[in-house]
Amino acid sequence: MKLTTTLLAGAAALCLASFANSAAADGHGPSCGLNTGEAATGEPIKVGGINGNAPPGDFSGGTDAAAAYFDCVNANGGINGRPIEYIVENDQWNPELAGQVAAKLVNDDGVVALVGNGSVVSMAVNANLYEEEDVMVMASGCAISECYESSNIVSTNQGPLPSGIGALTYAVEELGTKNAACIGFNIPNNGGWACDWMEDYMSSQGLTGTSILMDPTAVDLNSVYLQALSEGADTILLMLPAGPAIGLLKVAEEQGGRDLFKWVSPTPLYEPGVADVLGDYWNDNLYIHIELAPFDSDGADNQNWAAVVEAFGQDGDRRDTFSQSGYISAKFFVEALLELDTDSIDRATVSDAIRAINGAESDLLCAPYYVGDADRHMPNSTGRMVAYTGSAFEVVRDCFAIESSYFEPIRAQEAALGITQ
Amino acid sequence: MPRSQITPLAILLIGVLILPLILSSLWVKVVTSAAIFALGAAGISVLFAQLGLINLAQIALIGVGGWVALRLNYATPLPFTVIVVIAGVATAFVGAILALPALRMRGLYLALVTLMAAGAFQILFNAFQFPNGGEGFWGVARQSAADIRRPSVAQSDVGYLRYTLVIMAAGFGLVALHRITGPGRAWAMIRQSEANAMAAGINVTFYKIWAFALSGLLAGIAGALLSGALGQLDARSFLASEGILLFALAVVGGAYSWVGAIIAGVLYKLLPALLNDWGLSADLALILFGAALLHAIMTAPRGIAGQLLGALQRKPS
Repeated sequence: MKLTTTLLAGAAALCLASFANSAAADGHGPSCGLNTGEAATGEPIKVGGINGNAPPGDFSGGTDAAAAYFDCVNANGGINGRPIEYIVENDQWNPELAGQVAAKLVNDDGVVALVGNGSVVSMAVNANLYEEEDVMVMASGCAISECYESSNIVSTNQGPLPSGIGALTYAVEELGTKNAACIGFNIPNNGGWACDWMEDYMSSQGLTGTSILMDPTAVDLNSVYLQALSEGADTILLMLPAGPAIGLLKVAEEQGGRDLFKWVSPTPLYEPGVADVLGDYWNDNLYIHIELAPFDSDGADNQNWAAVVEAFGQDGDRRDTFSQSGYISAKFFVEALLELDTDSIDRATVSDAIRAINGAESDLLCAPYYVGDADRHMPNSTGRMVAYTGSAFEVVRDCFAIESSYFEPIRAQEAALGITQ
Repeated sequence: MPRSQITPLAILLIGVLILPLILSSLWVKVVTSAAIFALGAAGISVLFAQLGLINLAQIALIGVGGWVALRLNYATPLPFTVIVVIAGVATAFVGAILALPALRMRGLYLALVTLMAAGAFQILFNAFQFPNGGEGFWGVARQSAADIRRPSVAQSDVGYLRYTLVIMAAGFGLVALHRITGPGRAWAMIRQSEANAMAAGINVTFYKIWAFALSGLLAGIAGALLSGALGQLDARSFLASEGILLFALAVVGGAYSWVGAIIAGVLYKLLPALLNDWGLSADLALILFGAALLHAIMTAPRGIAGQLLGALQRKPS
């Protein structure tokens, strides 16, 4: 799928602008960029985005929300009069395709940066390209180590490692977990990476952690569940995308396994439609760590995110954590660009402007966002816990920083930049 | 120099000199992939055209070559080209082992055995993953992948495309050499009748194993080139089903000529990229492949290459 959002002066832009204005009039309208209500007509600024939308997961929420926000910015004065031309590519979870579309965006299209990226394979394949070409990637939906251990990628979402350990922290402190089983995909820089650090966390607490890694191409949830039973774990950490995590909960439900374990999960299970699938069986027995504000939060940025995707998003766009994350990436990106001299916007100045982001605040995040000039970036490692109650998710612990020896270099960066999580 | 040798050389020269100049970054990567899988398809063609044997495990063997190349890249300081050769030779040995069932079977049964082997490799790749710079025999660390060395002349994508095209042409040359020398004649006799070949003093076992080893060599080289092109490999790229697809495309392209292998590589990698670039789903390619396979089976037993070359040969007369 290719989505090219080129803002052309004319009827379409006028329609959007008038729609945005009418939405703004009732007090819930989106607020974007300069917020002038005038469509930008200058020379477009090319920005790229890569998502992975094919089995086994749809990671397009980040680019969908970024596209909506950029459309909103373009209808509201753009970047000091210049619209953003947002070019989105889908890597379809295919490493070769991921390399190809990144080369197209970075070398052929000459984008100044990539924003809203949500993909597993693309980051692994292209981290070197981004570094060589010194193009910054403000990602939104990452789940592998390269997203957090590369100089040119900074992701707003946490990925499985912090969110999983956050969930486990709650389980250890509130639910009495002693022996946790981390169930993930056998992908070295994804499930393997996150579950390894989860084991490290458990042993640092004097507790036991085991990893149960499964083949992502031949998922057998029954055997995984039985393996968890045989390991003698008292807690299951679902280090999985939403689909397989729900599948595993269904297996446990069929076998009456709810009370045999305590059930915790990182963010992916926090989805608007999950209650329709899970029903009431799991009420008050499933705890999820969420890395951004709840969907129904009253915060100004959360409300604005909802208004932007409502007014400028497409019908099929996902309204999930990745979407919130894409909105934040796009918003901070636009704020950085607005600081630049309009005529001097090129890849070098944009990369520098992104690295200069420090202490950016949003009610969607628990702590300030930053980038800095470093060999790794993880600006979001604080989150909340919610309990699944069937009809809704109830916040059971508000913002707390996640602790693990993994974060030592990140905390050092934060100290140098004057940021406290 | 006969015309049959000038044409491929001219095409190679055009490919190496001109293609990198006119292609954008996207298509440089796509054409590199297509060339790599053309080399893999050439291995399928050797077995199918020379001996009538069906090998559905070629993608698995490409994975084996890639695994060996990655392992050597991280474990040794050897230059990339040496690694490519070693990966090729190691995969040739694995290919030769695959030949053992082929000594007694052919047709559907052999195809099933190679499919089972491909399935076994798929499980192994998923269980053990591809090396990414970690410790121990399997070399898998739960971390981001470390760098892959590329040859000094092929650091850039454009340089790597040229490098790949030259190695692909060398691979095709090796196959051509086999066809016109002793092994080619032996394979032709074996294909006609194993009993007659034996009566004529041909060591049937040896030449069958030799053909599988040659096919494995090409797959191994392709796998090593793929690891250098992508910088890392993913177990999901080497599914058994991909082996069936590549075999089908080798037949569609035409197993009896190097042109067919190139067509197979182009169909396998360039067509999905083209559809993707047009904003269509790359999966549409599968539908087109199905139609092309029907076309090949019904009207073009020598594949698209056979039709093209036939048309070219008729023209002058």
